[in-house]
Amino acid sequence: MDSVNTVTNDDLKCIKAFRGLYQVYDPEVGINVVDLGLIYELNFDSENKHLTCIFTLTTEFCPMGESITENITKSLENSFPDWEIDLSLIFDPPWEAAMISPEGQADLGW
Amino acid sequence: MPRLSAPGGLQTTTSYKVVLPFYTYGTFALLVAVGLLLGHTNIAKAHHFHPVTLSITHLMALGWGTMIILGASHQLLPVLIKGKLASNFLAYLSFGFMGIGIPFLVWGFYHFQFDWKIQLGAVLINIGVLSYVINVFKSIFESDGREVHAWFMATAAIWLFSTTFLGLLLVFNFTRSWLPSHSLAYLTLHAHMGIVGWFLLMVTGVGSRLIPMFLISKYSNKKLLWWIFSLINIGLISFIVFRSFHTASTAYYISIILTLIGIVIFGYYCFKARKTRIRKNVDYQMKLSLLSILQMLLPILALIVVLLLLPSQTHENLVLLYGFCIFFGWITAIIFGMTFKTLPFIVWNKVYSDMAHGVKLPAPKDLFNDKVFRVMLYLYPIAFVIFGLGIILKNDFLLKTGATALLLAALLYIYNSLITIFHKAKI
Repeated sequence: MDSVNTVTNDDLKCIKAFRGLYQVYDPEVGINVVDLGLIYELNFDSENKHLTCIFTLTTEFCPMGESITENITKSLENSFPDWEIDLSLIFDPPWEAAMISPEGQADLGW
Repeated sequence: MPRLSAPGGLQTTTSYKVVLPFYTYGTFALLVAVGLLLGHTNIAKAHHFHPVTLSITHLMALGWGTMIILGASHQLLPVLIKGKLASNFLAYLSFGFMGIGIPFLVWGFYHFQFDWKIQLGAVLINIGVLSYVINVFKSIFESDGREVHAWFMATAAIWLFSTTFLGLLLVFNFTRSWLPSHSLAYLTLHAHMGIVGWFLLMVTGVGSRLIPMFLISKYSNKKLLWWIFSLINIGLISFIVFRSFHTASTAYYISIILTLIGIVIFGYYCFKARKTRIRKNVDYQMKLSLLSILQMLLPILALIVVLLLLPSQTHENLVLLYGFCIFFGWITAIIFGMTFKTLPFIVWNKVYSDMAHGVKLPAPKDLFNDKVFRVMLYLYPIAFVIFGLGIILKNDFLLKTGATALLLAALLYIYNSLITIFHKAKI
């Protein structure tokens, strides 16, 4: 949790979300979306049971974009079954190497 | 119900049903071409206008190179234009017409009969290419992104049609004399419109996006890409002008130098992408793809030697070496490398994209046999060098050995392609 840059307003719920998201891989890179730094923000509105996930892809031309997005959605739905989930895919700021966690960097051969 | 907002747009992928037939066809065309090469190694000592040489060249250019690149380009077009493929139907038409036309054309060349069969083949191929060109332009006009990559693809498509249309005229000209000169006089133009206009422009355009993407590099330089685009096109157009006006052969150096500079800049672009890559471990597929950039220089060297030596008419085998370096060298190397970067993605999306998360799915690279790929990786360049030496030295043993090794490399490629194409879910 400390090694990733995801912004959140609820650490406990974020850990719960991460448990699922750690199983969502970028199939080409072979690293999960959390360690890859693709999850920019997780905002939890507990009162209205509303979760907003702001995420990115390594490139806007990512051929696996559809699959990764679908799997992030399914993961969050599983972790928060009765919550309303909004996903926002952004490319500004663009994803960069500095966003990869130390664990992800090790997997990339750094 | 989850909602997704994606202001930049989420990349859409072309259906595997469109793409896989092209890959499968190309794979078997390679096998037939290499089989013919092994059975007729004596062509390396004959004039390049030989029935078997023409058959092999067209199998390699159309059946192998073009069919694989058409498959890949239908898949990659959305990536290049930030849109989606306009019509799957046009893609099927393109495959159907070309798939039927190519065997007719090759049969005609092999038997050296310029009758209705070869003419039908040429007509069908042109309809197939025209379907592709319409699809490319329709996709580009319906998309938002008309950046330099879209220009590469659109211009390459036009050059492909120009090549096949001139080919069609040449086929009919053998029996009806429609053109001012004999068909042989146009062969060089026909060949270079295809090699430079179609293959080189397409490979540099697609490669300049794919190579950084697969290396996970953020490097991009549109100015350089415009230079590459302009130099290659001006090089080719100048060659057509010089050839049409029967300019002295020294003028061709201008075209060669322009094209060479374009290739060198492309090499520099890929080098920069490699240098700034985020993924430090470069896989074997990318290594082979990067090697193919160096192989681009071999035909140019052969061409310069041809221009220097050919007036004596004693080095006909260098013309064959030039063609061999292009079709069995550069084009085959980049396809060998890029197939196992693109094909596993296509099949992975087909087999695994709908599967629930939570289980560790195989990666695209797990869809083919890495050991077989590595054996192919070492066997192929050895085969290429042996056969190339056989052409230069006109040595039967080297030609047979090189062709046998090429056939083995092709069989390994086919094995890996087929196990990827027919991969079933493993979880």
